[in-house]
Amino acid sequence: MASEAARAPRVEGRRSLSNAALAKLFLTPSVAWMALVALFPVLYAFVLSLYLYQGRLSEGFGGLENYTEAITDDRFWSAVIATLVFTVTSVAAEFMIGLGFALIMRQAFRGRGVTRAAILVPWVIPTVISAQMWFFMFNVTPGFWNDVLGIGDFNWLGQPNWAMFAIVFTDVWKTAPFVALLLLAGLQTIPEDIYESARVDGATAWQRFWNLTLPLLRPAILVALLFRTVDALRVFDLPQVMTQGAFGTETLSMLVQRFVVQTPNPGTGAAFSTLTFILVLGVGVIFVRFLGREFVESTAGG
Amino acid sequence: MGEQQAAIVERRPPIQRIGKALMLMLIFIWCLFPFFWLISTSLKLGNEALNSPDLFHGPFGLQNYKSVIEQDFGFNLRNSAIIAGTTTVFCIAIGALAAYALARLPIKRKILVLAGVLAVSLFPPVALVPPMYEVWRTLGLLNTYPGLYIPYTAFTLPLTIFILSTFFASIPKDLEEAARIDGATAFQAFWKVILPLAAPGVFAAAIITFVAAWNEFLLASTFAPRDKAVQTVTVAIAAFTGSVQFERPIGTITAACVIVTIPMIILTLIFQRRIVAGLTTGGVKG
Repeated sequence: MASEAARAPRVEGRRSLSNAALAKLFLTPSVAWMALVALFPVLYAFVLSLYLYQGRLSEGFGGLENYTEAITDDRFWSAVIATLVFTVTSVAAEFMIGLGFALIMRQAFRGRGVTRAAILVPWVIPTVISAQMWFFMFNVTPGFWNDVLGIGDFNWLGQPNWAMFAIVFTDVWKTAPFVALLLLAGLQTIPEDIYESARVDGATAWQRFWNLTLPLLRPAILVALLFRTVDALRVFDLPQVMTQGAFGTETLSMLVQRFVVQTPNPGTGAAFSTLTFILVLGVGVIFVRFLGREFVESTAGG
Repeated sequence: MGEQQAAIVERRPPIQRIGKALMLMLIFIWCLFPFFWLISTSLKLGNEALNSPDLFHGPFGLQNYKSVIEQDFGFNLRNSAIIAGTTTVFCIAIGALAAYALARLPIKRKILVLAGVLAVSLFPPVALVPPMYEVWRTLGLLNTYPGLYIPYTAFTLPLTIFILSTFFASIPKDLEEAARIDGATAFQAFWKVILPLAAPGVFAAAIITFVAAWNEFLLASTFAPRDKAVQTVTVAIAAFTGSVQFERPIGTITAACVIVTIPMIILTLIFQRRIVAGLTTGGVKG
């Protein structure tokens, strides 16, 4: 592959041609892998979703029947609601707490390095482990939080709404520090002298935050929100471990996975997964459109 | 809250300095406190201590760790290490090429390629579950290592590409051009000049890729749920669940969590700077 370029390194025309060829060569393995493993299954899922199944046995083409069955299923809508509730509440809380953390860390000189190391700890922990950890802390036995808060045998995980609260809380614990890290990086790109002149002009701390920090931080905020939102829409690990989907915490990812593992029906499962795919990627695309073309280009440093 | 560093240069009253230290402490406690609970619980022995909310309610001992090891947790650790390691090698090997092409080489319709890579990073992995389960069943890839590292590589590639191309783009073009003037081909320039300079970035990308693959649960629990020869750490930890919710063996689970957590925390602390650089320049979730 390199030899072709080696023979004519200095002939301008051939060199740019071989560079373009090299670029194709370099891109091919990644693009092929992603297309084969990510794109192809989605198309295949769409095909599967058009066929009717009895258990694992195909019963022939059914058109959109699986979809009508899916969207008239109450379980599907309660999964949609659970996913959206989880996404909106967890992303909102993570953003506010993460921004708070980032502002605190930006001000501190001493201890910033240690704190930044600590902030990586929740990120590096497998979500399944944080789920188990917080499951036990919320659980009636040993009842750690109940003891700290002095509220007896409150059953956080055993009733609607509070079960979702516990799951959202766990996600916020794990991810708010990560959001802080992204926002801190954004904060550090804002030049100091802007604040200096604002101060000279008599702007209060709140005015400086609202009129300078927030608008200048906008790109970092949008990127953090994009990846957090898409990630939250895919939530699976936390409710799977903490409640197994009981008490209105079954999310879309759980629903699809169960149709494959517990209720083997490839047709309906594929219809659910196609709908989930459209929802998640749709939200992602809306975000990216909002961020604009520069974002797509800058993500890859090009 | 909207204060900034310039203000710190002025002398500040001690109360404000103490206030700042306290707020840093808050972040610190937020991040680390649950591990204190985890370690304390994993060391407790007997039902009475394990069911007590008191962190210091003994007796303490290493019994829980012994029972974790007796349950062949070592197999799970090995499986996760092999699967995450293979994913990392594949991602870095083919991701580095793509990242270099994106950062330096002329690409037709580059925006399309970038949009495609971005789309995969926004992709819900669960969309893969029904079709891939059927395909893997046919190909006999359920309960195998490739059955997991093949999809992991696809899903982690975008992240690897983003991080690496940012690092490649940050290396001065002059160095490369000097090499090209000396007669090096584009490939040699990449291999001999760019790659060594990007080593820290490659390393950061490798750690982040490894962590992402190590922590994966959805596909692992679907494609290799029970077979001890393939089951990963995350699936094993979730599967300690008893038949009734509150019958989960708390001692064993917390001990297993500590075993997995400690090496990862050490890894994080050692490579803290590189990980932060990788996560923030890539701008993408790990």
